[in-house]
Amino acid sequence: MTARDDKIRLVVAELDAHIAEVEARVATLKALLADDEAPGDEDPS
Amino acid sequence: MTDVTNETLRQWRESQGWDVPRMARELRNAARDTGEDVAAHHGLVKMIPQWERGNRVPRERYRLLYLKIFEDMLGFSPGAAIGVDLAVRLAQIQSRAASLPGPGELRALEAAALAKPRSTWTPAEIRALAGEAIAQLHEVAGKLTELSALLGDDQVDEAKP
Repeated sequence: MTARDDKIRLVVAELDAHIAEVEARVATLKALLADDEAPGDEDPS
Repeated sequence: MTDVTNETLRQWRESQGWDVPRMARELRNAARDTGEDVAAHHGLVKMIPQWERGNRVPRERYRLLYLKIFEDMLGFSPGAAIGVDLAVRLAQIQSRAASLPGPGELRALEAAALAKPRSTWTPAEIRALAGEAIAQLHEVAGKLTELSALLGDDQVDEAKP
């Protein structure tokens, strides 16, 4: 394990988080089109 | 190949989206190129899951064939610039990044969502959602560039959204 590997792992982890953010929003947008309501729209009461 | 575990073999295969029969075909193709004598297709289809579960250890000739197949795809070599597990992780993240929609597709999704009336999502919320997705997409592109610089080559460029 080198310092360079550690840095790469850090950037990959950050990249993973940003990709997950995009994927989540894309899923919500697609759900808006596919269903009557998107995930998270449910009335909590 | 001392750091290649049974789990690594499975990760390598799955990083390419290959099922076991495809892995068997790839091994046989690689063997044909090098003149190696390997088991028949159906035999490999039985052995690969056993190797991946750790029930059996692949013989040296099969381990070398795995290296031959994946060293170029995953950006490592026997004189590895990065570790095998990190190369697998990179391949997985590149694949996910490459499958993301571009800004144009996100804008099209936004427009389609705006065109569909609904009770709980306001147009402003839908625009904000699409805007956040595009902002995160720019972050992804930035991190891919950073990775490319760290790796010192262009192997992540093709995954750039």
